[in-house]
Amino acid sequence: MIILDKKQLITGCIFFVMLMLAWYWSLFVVTTEEHQGDVYRIIYLHVPSVFTAFLSAFILLCMSILGLWKKSYKSVQVGLASAEVGLLFTFLGLATGSIWGKPTWGTWWTWDARLTTTFILALLYCGYILLWNSVQSNLMRIKVCSVLGIMIAANIPIIYKSVTWWRTLHQPPSIFRRGGSSMSPEILSLLLINIAIMLAIGIWLIIQRYKNITLGEDLEEESYLQIRQQEGG
Amino acid sequence: MNTIFKNQYYLILKHGIKMELADKERLISPILFATTMLILFAFGIGETSEDLIIKIFLAQTFLTLLFSLQITFARIFDPDEKDKVFQLLQCYPINHAAWFLGKYTLVILVGSLVLVPTMLLAGLLNHNPKAPLLTPEIFLIAFLALAGLASIGVLLSAMTLKASGREVLFPLIYFPLSTPVLLAAIQSSQVLLSGNNSDILWQWVGLLVCFDVIYVTLGILLFGELAGSE
Repeated sequence: MIILDKKQLITGCIFFVMLMLAWYWSLFVVTTEEHQGDVYRIIYLHVPSVFTAFLSAFILLCMSILGLWKKSYKSVQVGLASAEVGLLFTFLGLATGSIWGKPTWGTWWTWDARLTTTFILALLYCGYILLWNSVQSNLMRIKVCSVLGIMIAANIPIIYKSVTWWRTLHQPPSIFRRGGSSMSPEILSLLLINIAIMLAIGIWLIIQRYKNITLGEDLEEESYLQIRQQEGG
Repeated sequence: MNTIFKNQYYLILKHGIKMELADKERLISPILFATTMLILFAFGIGETSEDLIIKIFLAQTFLTLLFSLQITFARIFDPDEKDKVFQLLQCYPINHAAWFLGKYTLVILVGSLVLVPTMLLAGLLNHNPKAPLLTPEIFLIAFLALAGLASIGVLLSAMTLKASGREVLFPLIYFPLSTPVLLAAIQSSQVLLSGNNSDILWQWVGLLVCFDVIYVTLGILLFGELAGSE
C-alpha cells in the first residue's frame, strides 16, 4: 500500500515538473504572437484547462454508464472525483479566459455563448456534487448521480459547438478544424504538449481524489462501527 | 404498442389527471405565479420602444414559463409519494417506459394549462398592432420547448424525490439543463418574429427538436433506473 502511494507521489511529481518545464517554455522561450503580443501566452493554461474539464465530463459519462450497467458504487465514486476535478478545471478555464478577455476584448466578462455555456457546465458540476451529498443510500446514489452524469455529458457538444453555432466574441475552433490548424507549428506543438500534460494531471488528480473519497468513507464506516461496539460494550 | 403497455400508460395518465383535478391548488398556483411575474416584469420594464418589444416579449414569456413550469415539475410526484403509489408501482412489474410516458404526457397537459394563459397574458401586455406577437408558429415553438422541459422535469423530479434539500437542488440542476432548450426556443422565436432568414430559423428549430429528442430518449432510457425498486 505504501509502495503504491510512493509510486503515485513520484508520478505526480514527474507530471508537475513536466508542467513547470512546459510553462517555462511557454512563458519565456516560445516566440511572441504577432497580433496579440505576450497576452496570448495564457492559452497554454486556458486551453489545456478547458480540455481537461471536457475530459472529466467524458470520464463522468463513462463512469455513469458503467455505474448504471453494473450497479457499481466504485464507478460513481470515480464519477464524483471527475466532477470535482472537472469543476476545478472549468473554473480555471473561466478565470484564465476572463484574464485574457480584459486586455483583448476590454472586459472581464461578457455573456458570450462559449462563456455562458462553460459557466453552465460549472453549475452542472456543482449540482452533481450537491446531489451526491444529498442522497444517502448507496444504490440511490448510483442511480441518480449516474443519470445526472449522462445528462451533463449530453451538454458538452453544445459548449464545444457554441462558437460555430452562434456569432460570438470567442474565436472559432483553431486546433481541430477542417483544413488544419490556423496556428503556427511552433505554438501549436507547444500547446499540444501542454494539453497532454494537463490531461495527465487531470487523470492523476481524479485517481487521487477517488482514493481520498474511498478512504474517507472507509474511515467513516470504521468510526461508526467503533461507536456501536463501544455502545454495545 | 402492445395492449399491456397501452393500458399501463392510460392508467397512469388517468390517475395523474384525477390527482391533479382533485387538488386544484397545484394547477392554479403556477398560473398565479406566472401572472404575478408578468405583471412585475411589465411594471419594472415600463414603456419600451417598438424595436425592443419582440426581445422583451420573448424574454418575459420564456423566463416566466421556465420559472412557473419548474413549480409544476418539482411537485409532479408529490401525490404519488404521499399516497405511497410510487412505492407500490416500484414493486409492481410495470413497464417503466409506460410509467415515464404517462407522467410525461401528464406534465405536458398540465404544462400546457400554464403555458397558454401565460403566453396570452404576455402577448396582451406587450401588444403591438403593427406586428402580432401571438402567431400559431410561436405557440408551436413554445410547445416544442415544453416537450423538452417536461422530460427534464419528470426525470429530475424522480431523481430528487429521495434527496434532502430538494427545493434548492431541483432548480439548481433544472435551470442549467434547460438552457439549451430555452436558448433554441428564444432564438428561433426571435428569428421568426423579426422575419429574418428562414434558414437560420430552421437551424434553431432543428436544435430545439434535437434536444427534445435527446431529453425524451434519455427520459425513456433512464427513468426505469430511477423508478426501479431499491
